[in-house]
Amino acid sequence: MAKICSNQQALNSPYARKLTERQCEKLYWACLEILERTGVHLYEQEAVDLLKKAGAHVTDGNRVRIPSGLVEKALTTVPKTVTLCDQNGNRVIHGGGHQSYFGTGSDCLNIRDHRTGERRLAVLKDIQEGMILCDALENIDFVMCMFLPSDVHQEVLDRYEMEAMLNYTNKPVIYVTTEFSGCVDAIKMAEIVAGGEESLVTHPFAGCYINVTTGLRHNQEALQKLLFLSGKGLPFTYIPSAQGGVTAPITIAGTMAMNNAGALTGLVISQLKREGAPFIMPGWGGNMLDMRTTIQPYADPEKRGQAIDFAHFLGIPTFALAGCSESKLVDEQAAAEAAMTLFTDAIFGGNFVHDVGYLESGLCGSLPQLVICNEILSWIEAFMKGVEISDETLCLDLIDEVGPDGQFLDCQHTLENFRDRWYPNLFERSNFDGWQSKGGKSLGERANENVNQILEDHKPEPLPKDVAKAVHDIVEQAENTR
Amino acid sequence: MDKTQELIDAVIKGEEDKIKLIIMENLSAGTPAKEIMDQGLIAGMNIVGEKMESEEMFIPEVLMSAKAMSSGVELLKPHLTEDEASASGKMVIGTVQGDLHDIGKNLVKMLMEGAGFTVFDLGTDVSPEAFVEAIKKNDADILGMSALLTTTMPKMEETIKAISEAGLRDKIKILIGGAPVTDEFSDKIGADGYGPDAGSAVRIAKNFAPDYS
Ligand code: B12
Repeated sequence: MAKICSNQQALNSPYARKLTERQCEKLYWACLEILERTGVHLYEQEAVDLLKKAGAHVTDGNRVRIPSGLVEKALTTVPKTVTLCDQNGNRVIHGGGHQSYFGTGSDCLNIRDHRTGERRLAVLKDIQEGMILCDALENIDFVMCMFLPSDVHQEVLDRYEMEAMLNYTNKPVIYVTTEFSGCVDAIKMAEIVAGGEESLVTHPFAGCYINVTTGLRHNQEALQKLLFLSGKGLPFTYIPSAQGGVTAPITIAGTMAMNNAGALTGLVISQLKREGAPFIMPGWGGNMLDMRTTIQPYADPEKRGQAIDFAHFLGIPTFALAGCSESKLVDEQAAAEAAMTLFTDAIFGGNFVHDVGYLESGLCGSLPQLVICNEILSWIEAFMKGVEISDETLCLDLIDEVGPDGQFLDCQHTLENFRDRWYPNLFERSNFDGWQSKGGKSLGERANENVNQILEDHKPEPLPKDVAKAVHDIVEQAENTR
Repeated sequence: MDKTQELIDAVIKGEEDKIKLIIMENLSAGTPAKEIMDQGLIAGMNIVGEKMESEEMFIPEVLMSAKAMSSGVELLKPHLTEDEASASGKMVIGTVQGDLHDIGKNLVKMLMEGAGFTVFDLGTDVSPEAFVEAIKKNDADILGMSALLTTTMPKMEETIKAISEAGLRDKIKILIGGAPVTDEFSDKIGADGYGPDAGSAVRIAKNFAPDYS
């Protein structure tokens, strides 16, 4: 588990922010103004009804204008942290404040196969291997399915993804489903693993990743999932995808305002459905369309930081995104973008940081890239620790004892303490001859070997046989009714 | 024709007023509208297309050129025969059933319009029947389908079947796209072409033109 937390002790551990309190306030007021003045289109009747009953203004059937008071009220009931357990019910993630946790992304169509070096369509086996790897990597705190399995019936692919995440790792899960029925099935599977409906609520280990068409246009499935999960008090993310220059103004502020108006809409509906329902909001803000290539850049520097500041201001946990790259290869660009994005999200204090290991702007994944990210996270963890300046750590007696001409190598104190310092696993520090005698390998080559080693050695704790079968029955049922 | 290069440059720079001015000067001097269209507007837009594909021009600039060009076309229309005016063809476009991703589709639409095509946009979540209906109603030459989800890609095949069943397959060219779509898939389901991006969509559609016009 990555023990990364910015701003742990005031002024004593790394911490960054881009927006002042005043700027956050202005942004928040802008969201409220958008909701009151422009309003949103909601494509699910129950959501419209809930808001109408609470005092929102509804026109044209589903154009809803939300009074500020409803947002203010929702902010008083939403939990400030979201706890996720591992699949054994241990409370391992407390997402909120400045505490950061890291996990993979979902549904990459392609994989850069580490065995052949080729880019090919991903299959179910890739998800299974990915989950074994995640289970073993100490700085990956939660999993998403990484790949999209091209070798199963596509209508029910989300059931296979969920099954693989339950079978091949014990870590907390964030699942994605295309339609509402897939979400219901994912919860059924999770309840089986948790040991019942009640146990999943008291020991939630799975959260749903919900995407919304744009800030002001909320699609039916997104709202159905939100209502279903809020009703149960189970965690989910609610991420509108306002895209600067396309579905929102090109300015970062304009896109942030529209996107967060959307997030706050989801917040209000969730709290109307059930006060105290957990809610996770976007941890990146100011998405853009790259106007030169028409891709949506993931590692864009300008969309980082401010959304995390804004969520801290509101007191709501974030779903952030980092460790991702636009590169087509596991190359220098991939490593650089992964490192910079992971570093920024950690220092700002994003909570559930996903998409670690993504290449090609979300269309390709790679196991060695994930291993490299795990190493980067280890570096960041070491960096983020505060420095203790105390009588004990200053060692003045020792310094005096050793004197100007002595050395510390063979001191008992060195022997007792040297292991507290950070050592890399994958990053190479040997001198040239040492490195050459180990085969003179690049980081990518070493990461490849590391993946193979882990896949050979690591055996995740399997689900009990009857549980695995009951989970698989849900997959079968979906297959039979498709 | 006068000031050909200036007209081409004005299209590239998206200067609507200048385009109109040069067109009017030419029309009053007696230059045939078709000549102004081909040698000025279309020639300009072709360069814009190339500059977009070589990543020299950015999308908003391309759209600006397209808009400016359209206003030029409007001016020319009364002087063109009907055939000349709709020479590029008519396209029906939409994102397939179950799929809400429309950013790529909208880009394709705008660039097709910029290239002189008349585009009927059916939006997102479009059923095979709705596609068939719109093709008939608008007497379309090209159908563009977008899908961003592997779960909705099969709807493309279904739509093509529905088009065949309606007896329309021979009169329409089918172009598909979206992140998971490939050339292979296009061949497999019997589409006429696949475009990896909006620029190539225009290029491919233009290559279709001789087949239907
Ligand atoms: C933005 C986005 C969204 C937005 C869409 C907003 C909107 N109004 O369109 C939102 C947030 C709503 C969304 C929702 C979902 N998404 Co989404 N989304 C994306 C993302 C990040 C970018 C897509 C995009 O807009 N790109 C920019 C445009 C310009 O590019 P483009 O669409 O590819 O279009 C270009 C070309 O493909 C081509 N083209 C496109 N159409 C056509 C048509 C023709 C005729 C031609 C010739 C060419 C052509 O030209 C375009 C311009 O150059 C992709 C990842 C990716 N990198 O593609 C995931 C992605 C497509 N989404 C994915 C998923 C899983 C989902 C959800 C299921 C998530 C959820 N559970 O909530 C939902 C599904 C909702 C639904 N029913 O459709 C997966 C797909 C998995 C799969 N099964 O295939 C992807 C790949 C991300 C991932 N790795 O997980 N998503």
